[in-house]
Amino acid sequence: MTTTLAGGRAARRQTMRRIRPRRSPAVPLVIALWAGAAAVLWLWWDNTPSLADTAAKILAAGRITGLLAGYLMALVVLQMARVPALERRVGSDRVARWHAMSGRYTVCLVIAHVFLTMWGYALQAGKTLGDVVQQTVDSVNTLPDMGKAAIGTGLLFLIAFLSIGGVRRRLPYDTWYHVHLLTYAAVYLTFWHQITTGNEFAVEPAAKTFWYGLYGIVTALVVWYRILTPIRLNLRHRMYVEAVIEETPGIVSVLIGGRKLHRMGAEAGHFFRWRFKAPGMRFSSHPYSLSAAPRPDMLRITVKAIGDHTSRLRELKPGTKVWAEGPYGAMTAQRRSRGKVLLVAGGVGITPMRALFETLPGAAGDITLLYRANSTQDLALWDELAAIADERGARLMYAVNSPDGERPDISAERLRQKLPDIDKHDVFMCGPAGFAQSVYEALRGAGVPARRIHHESFEM
Amino acid sequence: MRKSHPIRRVVLAGAATVSGIVLLLSLKPATDPASAQAAGGAAPPVAAQSPQGGAQAAGSGTVTGDAARTQYGAVQVRLTVSNGRITQAEAVQAPKGGQSDQITANAVPKLNQAAVAAQSADIDAVSGATYTSAGYKESLQSAIDKAKASAGSSQNSDSQGSGATQTRTVTGSVAQTQYGPVQVRITVNGDKITKAEAVQTPSGGQSTNITANAVPKLNQAAVAAQSADIDAVSGATYTSAGYKESLQSALDQAGG
Repeated sequence: MTTTLAGGRAARRQTMRRIRPRRSPAVPLVIALWAGAAAVLWLWWDNTPSLADTAAKILAAGRITGLLAGYLMALVVLQMARVPALERRVGSDRVARWHAMSGRYTVCLVIAHVFLTMWGYALQAGKTLGDVVQQTVDSVNTLPDMGKAAIGTGLLFLIAFLSIGGVRRRLPYDTWYHVHLLTYAAVYLTFWHQITTGNEFAVEPAAKTFWYGLYGIVTALVVWYRILTPIRLNLRHRMYVEAVIEETPGIVSVLIGGRKLHRMGAEAGHFFRWRFKAPGMRFSSHPYSLSAAPRPDMLRITVKAIGDHTSRLRELKPGTKVWAEGPYGAMTAQRRSRGKVLLVAGGVGITPMRALFETLPGAAGDITLLYRANSTQDLALWDELAAIADERGARLMYAVNSPDGERPDISAERLRQKLPDIDKHDVFMCGPAGFAQSVYEALRGAGVPARRIHHESFEM
Repeated sequence: MRKSHPIRRVVLAGAATVSGIVLLLSLKPATDPASAQAAGGAAPPVAAQSPQGGAQAAGSGTVTGDAARTQYGAVQVRLTVSNGRITQAEAVQAPKGGQSDQITANAVPKLNQAAVAAQSADIDAVSGATYTSAGYKESLQSAIDKAKASAGSSQNSDSQGSGATQTRTVTGSVAQTQYGPVQVRITVNGDKITKAEAVQTPSGGQSTNITANAVPKLNQAAVAAQSADIDAVSGATYTSAGYKESLQSALDQAGG
């Protein structure tokens, strides 16, 4: 267990040096994204001397939307390449939201591109808007690589349709996920028509090189981080289920054994995407946070049984092989900027908080954990938390509903009353979206600046 | 953890994209400053190569015609002239990108050959490349004019008018019908249509019968009417409509 550093300037400096926050690279990345978009528009600008008539204008709009869609398509794939800089520095949750947002936008651009281009061609051939469908059929039949592009676009529309909120909720997660993987095929199929029929690429060899470079780098990153890195990780660590423990009704911990697990680069606050080689769980992976600091011979995850997958975890047999990808997540000690830390957990959101509570360096009184649950029976891992608090001199508080079901009061005043120096704290928070939102507002009201509230949310 | 407003975000992104694209489009001029310059820049070498010193035989060297703008891009023709004869024709500019690449690759070699064979700008348009052909002919004519001008007075230039009173053939653009393409070629003498024929018609299955029946009637009707205002042949509605469309385009070209 952690030894408390008592007093002394040297000791304090030591602690302070460790907690200089690592900045999230989100801002430079977004700037790079805009610069790339500007470069893509410049390709068009540079290759278009003039626009003589309406047909030319519509066709130009089709080209602009097509170029932007091609550019964003590469980035949408890149966002899911599990690049450590994105997953661990920006945060998996934020990157996933970027992915969803840019994915929707790209599909809209593709629709605009197809429609505008075909309309432009129809007008140039002296036909009208009504002939767009016929023109599309003709173009697909006659232009190079357009057959492939048509299939790819169809796939893309299917994927987009299945990702619409209402449709997605009705689908089993596995089905949705595996259809979503077809995006790779769609991107491959639509890539070639960009090169062979794209005006900008036909005319300008440098543009073609740029495009091959963009897609080449993305492909390399996907192959490296989504395929090779997990294979290497799992060959090296050979994980298996050691035991399954029921913590409270509905919450189970899975202990995972393996080799040299402390060499995986995992820290408290990280999560892995887990795949258990048991019936019905083999084909999809699920993200679960580590609920204790990694040990050389053991990792632990703690999961609330709400879905099919989580319920099946309970029946896992010891010895079941485990395939893990990770570590991912940005809510680790690297985000910390202050000596004092408040950890806020809602329900099963305790898992990463429990690990951080154990490992965040700090003197007695520096670390506080606020644990919200429905009732005292639902306070999973409570005994462990109490033991850690005892040992470290950390503060542990809980908030549960009153016996008549009334919600506890977590307001700005109440927080200030409990922690008078709350505005000097870094806050790490994990819990359901509604809970996180209300706590966030209370914290802001109590004077905690937004940049010191660290939160991970996987709701889109 | 700011509150997200999905609808507001969608509206903002849509509006920003549309206005950005409209702005980009509106910033582009309607005519091409670059091709005008290119044409201007191409002129001095022609003058330099023109045999004004009298050392060379009349009308030798290369001449570049003015760039002709078409809907799909600029077309510019360069001729190599030896002793007053066109020995080589090539396109230094032609439409590029998308469909245009294919069309250019197909049409330009044919037009080059035709120019050398005809020794004039009076060449047939390549089917499916109506605009490119028209631009090619325009630039070719300008190159021939330049070559003649630089050849001096020793050359007779009475045939310069590209034969407005001569017999010539004009091919209309391809009209797509449900059953296949229709394309009409007319022979014009002065401004009379002396002959009309279909160079492309729907074929296969029933279409072969219908075509065999309808096309001769349509050819006759076109010559009789001297316009595209002809009756459709019954039982061949689509073919007739396509025929009329292509015929009109041929007449437009002949008239222009």
